[in-house]
Amino acid sequence: MMKFFYNNTILQILVIVLISFTNIFSQDVVDSLAVQKGEQIFKTNCVSCHSIGTNSLIGPGLEGVTEKRKKDWLKKWINSSSDFIASGDADAIAIYEEYNKVAMTSFYFEDEDFEALYAYLKNPPIQVKATSADLVLASDEGVANSTKLMFIALFLLCLVYILTSLKNKLKESLDQQTETIPETLLNQFKLFISEHRNVVFVSVACIIVVLKFSYDSMLGIGVYSQYQPEQPIAFSHKVHAGENGVDCNYCHSSARNSKHSGIPSANVCMNCHTYINEGTITGTSEISKIYDAIGFDPDTRTYIEGYDQKPIKWVRIHNLPDLSYFNHSQHVVAGKVECQTCHGPIEEMDVVYQHAELTMGWCIDCHRTSEVAMEGNEYYTELHTQLKEKYKGEKITVDKIGGIECAKCHY
Amino acid sequence: MRNAIINISMSEMKTTKKYWKGLAQLNNDPIVEKLAQNEFIEELPVDEFLGDKKNLSSTSSSRRDFLKFLGFSTAAATLAACETPVVKSIPYLVKPDEIIPGVANYYASTIYDGRDYASVLVKTREGRPIKIENNGTCSNSRIQASVLSLYDSARLKYPLKDSKETDWQTVDLEIKEKLEAVTDGKIALLTSTIISPSTEKLVKDFSKKYKNVEHVMIDSTPYDGILDANMDSFGVRLVPSYSFDKANVIVSFGADFLANWMENEYSTDYVNGRNPKSGKMSKHYQLETNMSLTGANADERIRIKPSEQGYLISSLLDAVNGKSFDENLLNQCTNGKFSKIVKALKANPSKSIIVSNSNDKNVQLLVNAINHTLGNYNSTISISSPSNLKQGNTNKLDNLLSDMKAGNIEAIITYNVNPSYSLAKATEFNDALKNVKLKISTSLYNDETSSLMDYVCPDNHNLESWGDANPKYGNYSLMQPTISPLFNTRQFQESLLVWTDRSDYLTYLKDFWINKGIEWHKSLHDGYFTLNEKKLNIKRFIDQSVLIKSSKSNSETIDLEIYETIALGDGFQANNPWLQELPDPITRACWDNYLTISLSTAEQLGLSNVNVSNGALNGSIVNVTSDNDMELLNVPVMISPGQATDTVGMAIGYGRTKAGKAGNKVGFNAYPFLDAKSVTLTKVDGEHEFASIQLHHTMMGRDIVKETTLNEYIKNPSSGNHRETYETYKGKLPSDQVSLYEEHDLETGHFWNLSIDLTSCIGCGECVVACQAENNIPVVGKEEIRKSRDMHWIRIDRYFSSDMTKELSAKEKKSAIDMFSEMEVPSENPEVVFQPIMCMHCNHAPCETVCPVAATTHSNEGLNQMTYNRCIGTRYCANNCPYKVRRFNWFQYSDNDKFDFNMNDDYGKMVLNPDVVVRSRGVIEKCSMCIQKIQELKLNAKKSGQPIKDTDAQTVCASSCSTNAIVFGDSNNKESEVWRLRNDERAYDLLDHLNIKPSVFFQTKIRNKA
Repeated sequence: MMKFFYNNTILQILVIVLISFTNIFSQDVVDSLAVQKGEQIFKTNCVSCHSIGTNSLIGPGLEGVTEKRKKDWLKKWINSSSDFIASGDADAIAIYEEYNKVAMTSFYFEDEDFEALYAYLKNPPIQVKATSADLVLASDEGVANSTKLMFIALFLLCLVYILTSLKNKLKESLDQQTETIPETLLNQFKLFISEHRNVVFVSVACIIVVLKFSYDSMLGIGVYSQYQPEQPIAFSHKVHAGENGVDCNYCHSSARNSKHSGIPSANVCMNCHTYINEGTITGTSEISKIYDAIGFDPDTRTYIEGYDQKPIKWVRIHNLPDLSYFNHSQHVVAGKVECQTCHGPIEEMDVVYQHAELTMGWCIDCHRTSEVAMEGNEYYTELHTQLKEKYKGEKITVDKIGGIECAKCHY
Repeated sequence: MRNAIINISMSEMKTTKKYWKGLAQLNNDPIVEKLAQNEFIEELPVDEFLGDKKNLSSTSSSRRDFLKFLGFSTAAATLAACETPVVKSIPYLVKPDEIIPGVANYYASTIYDGRDYASVLVKTREGRPIKIENNGTCSNSRIQASVLSLYDSARLKYPLKDSKETDWQTVDLEIKEKLEAVTDGKIALLTSTIISPSTEKLVKDFSKKYKNVEHVMIDSTPYDGILDANMDSFGVRLVPSYSFDKANVIVSFGADFLANWMENEYSTDYVNGRNPKSGKMSKHYQLETNMSLTGANADERIRIKPSEQGYLISSLLDAVNGKSFDENLLNQCTNGKFSKIVKALKANPSKSIIVSNSNDKNVQLLVNAINHTLGNYNSTISISSPSNLKQGNTNKLDNLLSDMKAGNIEAIITYNVNPSYSLAKATEFNDALKNVKLKISTSLYNDETSSLMDYVCPDNHNLESWGDANPKYGNYSLMQPTISPLFNTRQFQESLLVWTDRSDYLTYLKDFWINKGIEWHKSLHDGYFTLNEKKLNIKRFIDQSVLIKSSKSNSETIDLEIYETIALGDGFQANNPWLQELPDPITRACWDNYLTISLSTAEQLGLSNVNVSNGALNGSIVNVTSDNDMELLNVPVMISPGQATDTVGMAIGYGRTKAGKAGNKVGFNAYPFLDAKSVTLTKVDGEHEFASIQLHHTMMGRDIVKETTLNEYIKNPSSGNHRETYETYKGKLPSDQVSLYEEHDLETGHFWNLSIDLTSCIGCGECVVACQAENNIPVVGKEEIRKSRDMHWIRIDRYFSSDMTKELSAKEKKSAIDMFSEMEVPSENPEVVFQPIMCMHCNHAPCETVCPVAATTHSNEGLNQMTYNRCIGTRYCANNCPYKVRRFNWFQYSDNDKFDFNMNDDYGKMVLNPDVVVRSRGVIEKCSMCIQKIQELKLNAKKSGQPIKDTDAQTVCASSCSTNAIVFGDSNNKESEVWRLRNDERAYDLLDHLNIKPSVFFQTKIRNKA
């Protein structure tokens, strides 16, 4: 799996590099810093109501908005849409009417921030469509393997046929009785087992194969990668994280602060779903389950007073045993590890499954190969100098700062 | 059949010798022949069940069916074992802003249970308080353990009426009606000392609504002597506050001020006044009966009988006044120290403190006179900023009792007290209670008192309550709830409000303080605040003392001294298993109280303590009769070195009958003996089984605790810290230079070290409870402790000095056997040392090399790691550990009815620290140096991108230590305190000659003696 993952990343990087080159050549020189800042602003302020694509959330999708509206217009609208509507701008009123008369929050961005946001809206990131490259690759390899095997089998069969024919020819010439292929095989088998040593050898080989097989299958006990339970609400990470580009940390905010990544509480869902009543795949059926849990009336858009709230019982997918201590913030903040490194292509999953094995070997492997994110972190300043001295020229991986010691996870 | 074969072979061999299998065969009993033919002569009762045709035909399962069932169930069980259980994750529906699952929150609050007070920080996880931390002030083991009392399933879960469950409406309606109906008689409010200003106001409001309210405050151990004496001397009935840090000479007559006398603040002050580095170290004389914690820490300890105390104090007054006194006689009974005390006191005018534990007003008047003569008031003792923690009034209680008997009391409300248990006149109280029409208890438990009451309106635990406290003049702290009430209980203050037709104590409290100009939010955040108050009306000192001319001591009688143990105190938290299992610092026994007695008195009376074959301690049993005709049967006797001859000590706080499953029937109740002066003992047959965790009491001439005197230390700071050397071809070398081990790299990164200052450690055991709370250490119960299977990760070894020394033995030319057997016996009045021992985290660890499965390994930060899930329980490591700090889980201590303590209780389990695993049966565990805290510390530093601050590095033993004896930190950080201590001349490694390079090291003990 690791290999495919790398392949995929390399592919993505290539695509991104290519696209960025075309961007540079085809457009005016873009202040990439401003775009980056703009992206930051967009993610913190806008993403809960707007997508960068064409699909509407609470507000319209913002693809091509810079062509559709003038810069001044946008500025007025973003700074205070209500004032703008009050000023009687026809377009503004039209949009207000179109989107259920929900007024947009007034932001009053500094000029610099607005410029950055504008630059970002003008140069939105090119959506890298998730390809099923790895799957194709995998099946290709599978097909290739089985064809190879078939060829070998055919070849062997031909060989047997030729040899038997030859033998029969020779026997004929000696006037001995000829044998058919099954007869030959039977006779050879009898000859083979008449030798005591052969029997012992074969039995030992069989035992080894069986033991190896059982050992491997025993190792798999308690390993539940690909575990994909059905959840009480058919929540799609593909729609949220993939298509709408909601930041993982928006919902799993405690991943930055705590050992738990945290399943978002229903009030976090309601930040968006107060307005979004209909899903792209399941319509109202799944979203209404949130309303049912928290006690929200979508028609009047109010919370029902005195409602007997029903907690949502999600099925936990990643179950580490209690004997090991794992901390999300350690990896996400201090280690700067991407969520996908362990959770796989979560933005492509409609139903989440366990991507990694979550075995100790898997942890240790990563700790042996991952470099510690020491640069720019004052905690490491002194340690970094010491370690550079100690491991001259080597990569400073997690195991070199004690990352594979028992009591780092077991206490 | 075999018989037959033997017979045949015998006859074939034709030997003359014949063997018989038994007399029956010899006598040719026919049964032998029968058995030889048929071994099973009795028919199998097959017919019985096969004959029952009806039964047989009604069962349809055949043998094949049985095999099918067997096969199916085996397969099903195997499959089920492989199946992952589906784990549900249930998030909040609306997450509270301040809670992030997995991250602890700290709230400043106050603990006050009517006896112990501390301003604390409460650590909560997902809304559950799990640990108490100090908030600037010092606490004690009971404060540390109070978090477990919150989760006590013996607490009342709803209000009671006539011992039956009821609801608050009924209770309130009926109580209000009945209180209003009180016309002729009085309403008595019997409470502990109240230090909450808002509650005082509430009581006043209550008194306004219902006329004739009489508020009586009592302390579980009365302090009337000192309170009344101050009334006479200064016109205020108050306890002064003492500054033990400012005193050069401390003379304590029996006052155990480091443990249970007055309040727990004093240990910090005391140790601050004893800093050998600065050269200033107070001289502490303790003249006492029982070996107390304070006496154990004194520079000079003098054994006196309680009846001698008054005369000694009176003579001391004469002496400091320059009057004549019987110097010879006094020196005789104080082992020649009396003149020295007088000299020391005179040499340090206004820099001394005299305290006494006497509850006799005359004695306390004499103490006041001495302190006044020496000029200690307004210097080391402050009467103008008094302590409010003791305000009980026994006179008022006596009046209340006679009023109750006379039927003048129509209603009684009790709060924070348990008079039916803790009064010396408890039986009298119980009888008088029958004359009261309306009886209300607000106890948390259905305890001895509550069970006699009409209504029980259960109070909230401190950690569920709002409140305030004024422990000391001008100093205030606030109490805030850290969890919603677990049960259907209600705060006492709320009850008072409801009964005066109001509600909402929080608003009441807030208004109370905001009206006084307090910044509510800031004060609540800090937990404490100060207030400039108008001065108390204190009169000039009037000497009212009357000299006591002669000692009342009578060598014929055995004097009794009542004391409180470090663990249980007054016994209100008796149902707390952590406290029950906390060993007494002096006797090292737990789950018991006993009669402490000196060896010579015990020998006179034919009493003894013996170690039985497994090492456990057994003691003789006596019947005790007191001079005020109280009697106790079958009391165990514990021989305690340092106990004054012809005296016995007895601890209160035990013998509860309605505390709960952990506290009931542990020890005996000594409260009825509170007023007794002397006792007679009669030996009874039989032995009592003690649970004592230390069975060897002396160091046998080894320097486990290295010590020196202050004068020696000033001359040479490394005095007493001698390192052993080995003879090598390079000459004599210390152990670390003849090492065969490969060294760990300890220079890179952190090197966690722990320094323990044996001069500052007073042996109070607070760290033991703190460690138990932090690291999910199970309680194992008396039986297991008796088998030396205690689970504490930190223990405090106590050693007594012995009269026999190596030098003396050499002088007297004694044989080694004689010398060592005499060394085993502690002196009659020994010097005591305390030494906290936890895993030393050796950098050449003997345990690591013997583990067959590498379950115990070394970290690159100098820690010895224990991996429970790898351990297979060979216990080789425990055998090879020279400090004996490794603990084995002999049983599953959680969810096991055999160990029915907090880990076998759904409520009790809520106190567990979610960052530390609960160990299962068959694995070794030991101190991890709070690895979970180290990891959290490093992670926070990494996340914020800052280097670690030295003060942030804490283990719980270090952070809970009120005397700052334990210091934790990174020795590779040259600015750290622990680095400085590592390089101090006093630093030494325990069992240094083994060269196992522990990460924990000690500072030599320094005594201020000649």
